[in-house]
Amino acid sequence: MSSPVNQNQKDKTQVTRRTAILGAGGLGVFGVLGARLYQLQVLQAEDYQALSENNRFNFNMLLPERGEIRDRFGRALAKNRQNFRLVMIPERTPEIDLTLDRVAEINPLSERQRNRIIRDIRQNPKFIPILIEDNMDWKTFSALNMRLHDLPGIVSEAGQGRAYPKNGVFSHVLGYIGRAGDRDIESDTDPLLRQPTFRIGKTGVEASQEKTLRGASGQLKVEVNARGRIVREWPDPQTRATSGKDVWLTLDSELQEFAAKQFATEDEGDDSGGICVIDVITGELRTLLSMPTFDANLFVSGLTQADMDQLNNDPKRPQYNKAIAGGYPPASTFKMAVMLAALESGLIDRNDPIFCGGKIRLGNRNFHCWKRQGHGKMDMRDALKNSCDTYFYDVSQVVGIEAIADVARRLGLGEKYQIGVGGGISGIVPTAEWKQNRLGTGWRMGDTLNSSIGQGFVLATPLQLAVMTARIANAQSAVKPQLVIGQEMESFKPLDFDPLHLAYVKDAMWSVTSEPGGTAYRTQSFAQTLGLEDIQMAGKTGTGQVRGISMTERASGIRKNSKLPWKLRDHSIFVGYAPFDNPRFAVGTIVEHGGSGAKRAADITRAVLGEALRRDGVISPLSTPEGALK
Amino acid sequence: MAHQGQSFRSARSTSGGSLTTKLYEINWLLLTLVCLVGLVGVVMIFAATDGIWQRGAFQHLTRIGLGAIAMLGIAMIDIRIWYRLAYPIYIIGIILLVGVEFAGVSVNGSVRWLDLGVARLQPSEIMKPAIVLALARYYHDLPEWRVSHVWGLLGALFLMIVPMALIFRQPDLGTTLLLAATGVAIVFLAGISWRVIGFASVFATIAITVFYQFGLKAYQKERILTFLDPSRDPAGASYHITQSKIALGSGGVHGKGYMKGTQRQGEYVPENRTDFIFTVIGEEFGLVGGFMTLGLYMAVIGVCIWLSLQCKEVFSKLMILGLTTTFTLYIFINLGMVMGLAPVVGVPLPLISYGGTVILAVMGGFGLILSAHLHRGVELPRNG
Repeated sequence: MSSPVNQNQKDKTQVTRRTAILGAGGLGVFGVLGARLYQLQVLQAEDYQALSENNRFNFNMLLPERGEIRDRFGRALAKNRQNFRLVMIPERTPEIDLTLDRVAEINPLSERQRNRIIRDIRQNPKFIPILIEDNMDWKTFSALNMRLHDLPGIVSEAGQGRAYPKNGVFSHVLGYIGRAGDRDIESDTDPLLRQPTFRIGKTGVEASQEKTLRGASGQLKVEVNARGRIVREWPDPQTRATSGKDVWLTLDSELQEFAAKQFATEDEGDDSGGICVIDVITGELRTLLSMPTFDANLFVSGLTQADMDQLNNDPKRPQYNKAIAGGYPPASTFKMAVMLAALESGLIDRNDPIFCGGKIRLGNRNFHCWKRQGHGKMDMRDALKNSCDTYFYDVSQVVGIEAIADVARRLGLGEKYQIGVGGGISGIVPTAEWKQNRLGTGWRMGDTLNSSIGQGFVLATPLQLAVMTARIANAQSAVKPQLVIGQEMESFKPLDFDPLHLAYVKDAMWSVTSEPGGTAYRTQSFAQTLGLEDIQMAGKTGTGQVRGISMTERASGIRKNSKLPWKLRDHSIFVGYAPFDNPRFAVGTIVEHGGSGAKRAADITRAVLGEALRRDGVISPLSTPEGALK
Repeated sequence: MAHQGQSFRSARSTSGGSLTTKLYEINWLLLTLVCLVGLVGVVMIFAATDGIWQRGAFQHLTRIGLGAIAMLGIAMIDIRIWYRLAYPIYIIGIILLVGVEFAGVSVNGSVRWLDLGVARLQPSEIMKPAIVLALARYYHDLPEWRVSHVWGLLGALFLMIVPMALIFRQPDLGTTLLLAATGVAIVFLAGISWRVIGFASVFATIAITVFYQFGLKAYQKERILTFLDPSRDPAGASYHITQSKIALGSGGVHGKGYMKGTQRQGEYVPENRTDFIFTVIGEEFGLVGGFMTLGLYMAVIGVCIWLSLQCKEVFSKLMILGLTTTFTLYIFINLGMVMGLAPVVGVPLPLISYGGTVILAVMGGFGLILSAHLHRGVELPRNG
């Protein structure tokens, strides 16, 4: 139709018009982009700046250093030490297997360890340090440090670890620390507990004094990148962690170690049992020991299954705190309670002799004295000195179980003491009501007879026996045990026994150890053993029956205790205090299946009581400023 | 007709002019502006790579240099040669795309690259100028009365759909849409009647709905959905957009200072050397830097439009405007994405983002624009 030129011209104007339309559209879009930029960078800038800061900074928690636990003289029982460990940062390790092989040349890695390491590497981001080995000794650690250049991605660290230097003697008292469990986190909102490397007290003093020992967390401001890696730290002194405070215990660590040594035997390892040394005035515990012990450091570094099995299968149950959780029949050591109840009741004349023919008959049942041929005529003092069962059978029938139980409780039996170590038991001081509730059967006179010699239902711990002895020795106040220095204590209630009655009981206890014929009489006197002038002790033996002794056995007197298997032997029990005229310390000792009657426990008590006095004379609290007797 | 063309030649620069005359006549303003944008890219890539030359800034500078030389070289070639090569280039582009289909190299789940031994080539980038050349030639040759005619329209659609389909299969939704938009812009500029535009809009709405339902891969749908509702996936797809907005917004008016962007240092914005490089500009130079970048782009586009107005031939005009449209769309899609106005589709910011083929394709495009302008007096054959 038209010439090409015309068409070209026509096209051109068309194109120009449309260009203008498109150009205007483009300008509009640029306007929108500019407006959006204005909105983001001016109107909403503050919001985005805050978000950017959020992105950029993390607050890393700084862990406080845990407080130490010390004995009364300031010796460390639980302390922090350098924990030499090796970690691997997988992203810096090109050949993980090869590197682990090289580490193993210096520090052997078990198959289990290796598997654990490989699993950890797989489950974590590659920049998270993976633990290779913990609690290394200095030699291995320094040897590895020398070869670090050969070990890409391996980093050596000196962190904090818990150490229990006293060789396990305090394991039961101190307890141990561990990672917070779900229940801990639920009951305690402290964010420290969520930190994977943080440890809290799980048992013992570590747990009960957690608030004091823990301290407070600090915060470290760190700049992180999108993958959470720290780019740099921003030191901020205001948010440094506050270390936990030290906890001081009333224990004398050297006395406790001395006591532990007394449990050693020639051929059967350490004897099993518990011993407790208590200050009869203040109630401070100088020793609280359960034997045998275990090394709490093993729990810190991680127990192998073999170690665990050995601990769990040991018949002497090393992990069990026998000093406060072991309930044993107090046996004849209970006789002081019966004696005191008899005196207090006014129903018994202490000078009235009772004839012991080796047994008494109750209904159709015979109750035997430990001495088959009988003691003959016994007054109260002689009955205790010889531990005549018949006398107490007889007296208890008159006094009655309720009066005996009342006195026993006032002497401190049947009570659980809050000393800051969990797991203690209250023991049993039986009454008719107790039996009805517990067993659903009525009280029988036979039960009273059994109880009168500390058998049957009666159960007590070494701690309770020590408290009982301390109260008898103190004679005035109902002493309660204290373990943690500074722990709030109620003032002791008065004991409220006739002082003359107590003096009589104490004199009888003195006769047990100090008069020829007493069940714990030794030809070498206590003072001679000690090398100290004129110091005398008082005490009482006990032989706790483990099994029901058959009538025929009783009758025939065949009780060669030492020939029985360990598990079936009687418990050896002794309580005592010294000095007799001015009491300082009381001791309760139980040796499980301790062989020849009460002798084992009596010997241990004698030695420990003597050592306690000697140490008290040599290292008096006044001469050491840190003695901190508050 | 011959006489008229002759008179043009005497008045204005010609294909017969000497090399120095031609160099002198080139629009140096456009070249300078383009190189300036490229240098902004060098500076920002340097920041995005923590100041390590070898990680992109150096390569980018080299490419800008090579691109500038290519631009000049292409500008010197007579427009009639480009006119004649329009279809062959288009066909080569199609062949390369088919090559990708059979022998492409897979990167991030998309097959977009062709390994030529010496270098890797992204044929979809070549297709962008190629389709502009082909459509400009098509409309140049098409008589005006057939522009809105069914067959005229179908021809243009055919030219567009073949490469679009091939690129969509890679899959590369961003480039596919870019080609579509460029093609539509050229069809619009060629003077299609408003009536057809109305019909097409209705049809397109239906087609897009159907296409969305059946034609998109799950991740492509996801990108669109997260764009519409970023809370769908805070750690995944919308993470890009959120972090990108934080980077821009926290830059404020003046920015955090060169090399001081914390979002960048913390590596919060992924791909900030390539597609998300504008976040570095926004964070470190703030609104001022952002507006300056926008201004620079607008200047480039403005100069291109001005150059198109000086051309006589439809081929030249459509080619310049088509290439400019592609360039502009790159900017819009990229900035829209970075600012959270458009879905994340993986389109680079032209001349600033790191990436070799894109720079060479874009600068080659500017070479074509310069050539069209330089040879604006040359008459092209018209077979109407």
